[in-house]
Amino acid sequence: MNRLVTVAEMTLRELLRRRGVLLLLLLMPLTFYLIRRDAYLGQSVRSLLLGVGWAVSTAALFATTAARELEPRLRLAGYRPHHLYLGRMLGLWTVGLVISVPFFLLPIIDGADLRYGGLAAALLCSVAVAAPFGMLIGALLPRELEGTLLLLTVVTVQMLIDPAGSGARLTPFWSSREIATWTVDNTDQGYLSRGLLHGLVVTALLALGVAAVASVRLRRRRHLRHLPVG
Amino acid sequence: MNADDWLRTLTAELHQRRVAADAARHVVAEAATHLREGGGDPWVVFGPPQQYAGAVVESIGTAPGPRPGPVRLHAAGITKRYGRRTVLRDATLTVRAGQIAAVVGANGCGKSTFLRICAGLMSPDAGEVTVSGRLGYCPQSGGTADFLLADEHFVLVGAGQGVARGPARRAGRAAARQLGWEAGGDVQARHLSGGTRQKLNLTMSTLSAPDVLLLDEPYQGFDQGTYVNFWDQLSRLRDAGTAIVVVTHLLNQLDRVDIVLDLTPAHETGWHAPGIQGGRP
Repeated sequence: MNRLVTVAEMTLRELLRRRGVLLLLLLMPLTFYLIRRDAYLGQSVRSLLLGVGWAVSTAALFATTAARELEPRLRLAGYRPHHLYLGRMLGLWTVGLVISVPFFLLPIIDGADLRYGGLAAALLCSVAVAAPFGMLIGALLPRELEGTLLLLTVVTVQMLIDPAGSGARLTPFWSSREIATWTVDNTDQGYLSRGLLHGLVVTALLALGVAAVASVRLRRRRHLRHLPVG
Repeated sequence: MNADDWLRTLTAELHQRRVAADAARHVVAEAATHLREGGGDPWVVFGPPQQYAGAVVESIGTAPGPRPGPVRLHAAGITKRYGRRTVLRDATLTVRAGQIAAVVGANGCGKSTFLRICAGLMSPDAGEVTVSGRLGYCPQSGGTADFLLADEHFVLVGAGQGVARGPARRAGRAAARQLGWEAGGDVQARHLSGGTRQKLNLTMSTLSAPDVLLLDEPYQGFDQGTYVNFWDQLSRLRDAGTAIVVVTHLLNQLDRVDIVLDLTPAHETGWHAPGIQGGRP
């Protein structure tokens, strides 16, 4: 447990010291919200949620790429793969929750009439999905540029795809979009249930993907035999 | 090199040549007194520190070195191919507790690959490695977190072994001091110079008190004084029973090691190190 918490703490410390990144993390969802402010409120809130998701995914991608060379030596220092990826995920979820707070308050200050419980749930889903999503991309694509371009592609698809179409359910942030519809348009409970279930399943699948990649990359190699000190 | 540097180098040389600690202290104190009272450039008065240390050894002899202990690392028949290119063929190395092994060879001959295979960070195409006890590894570069302080690196590595924060910090700072670096500052790793960053890297690898220490050219960016301290620390670890493997291209240090593994293909060089093991046929 101590190892898990230490990795989470160090991830948090690293991110908090990247002031420029933090500023951009806050700026991105804000821009997404403001750019749609004059139009329909639902679009504005959905853009905000997508901005939060993209911002946290990007932070996760960069944190994963930065830790790539450090992790093998931490493995030798006594960490097991799950300490490293779960600790990092924990740290990223914490950062995501912290940056979500002002974006939860933003529509309140803006005087928007919507279901605030739904907004909180949608933000939670965005953050929950975004951390393992960015980590998985970072684990599969070792270079930041490729990872960032892939994230950009996914977010663009998410923005442009018809949310009612069956393909939309395959996009990672469909859950928060569905919950946002319940939040803004006062639709039936089904939107909320579907969204929560989707968020839960996608988070679990992405976390499993991260676990699988990390376990392979940081596995104990068969050619190496450890003996106790004689 | 001023008088202090000269004395520091002499101290390290005497230690490396296994002059008894009391005798070495006495020799250095005498030389310091002579320089203080008589003045003059130590290079003119005594000559190069290495040469003077050699003369001292001839005159007073050395303390008997500790006998090598049990085998700590045994790498046998290591072969590694990248596509059609074979970078390692049947490389074999055995290192006992209290020995330093140097892995040498031309650029691209597979020195770092060999070390990564020994550390279990990469799989070979053939061969196996047996390690007794805890393993420490220092990469050639990287291996640190840009936005963390040195103390936080020590805490992170220490937590892996279940060491509490305070003791991990203290152990890290003490190990860094052996390399002439005061590590307790408020400076993030990304702001450290290349050499200091390598000191952090090296300190992290020794922090878990490994039984087998694998070092991949860890002295990049070290100044002369730190370089001397580095070999001095290696000698101390060896005397404490650590088995050390160091990748190096600096052949002038080979007289300080117990075993040499030359990975240069035989057709590329006529040079053969003393005590050579394994390598390619």
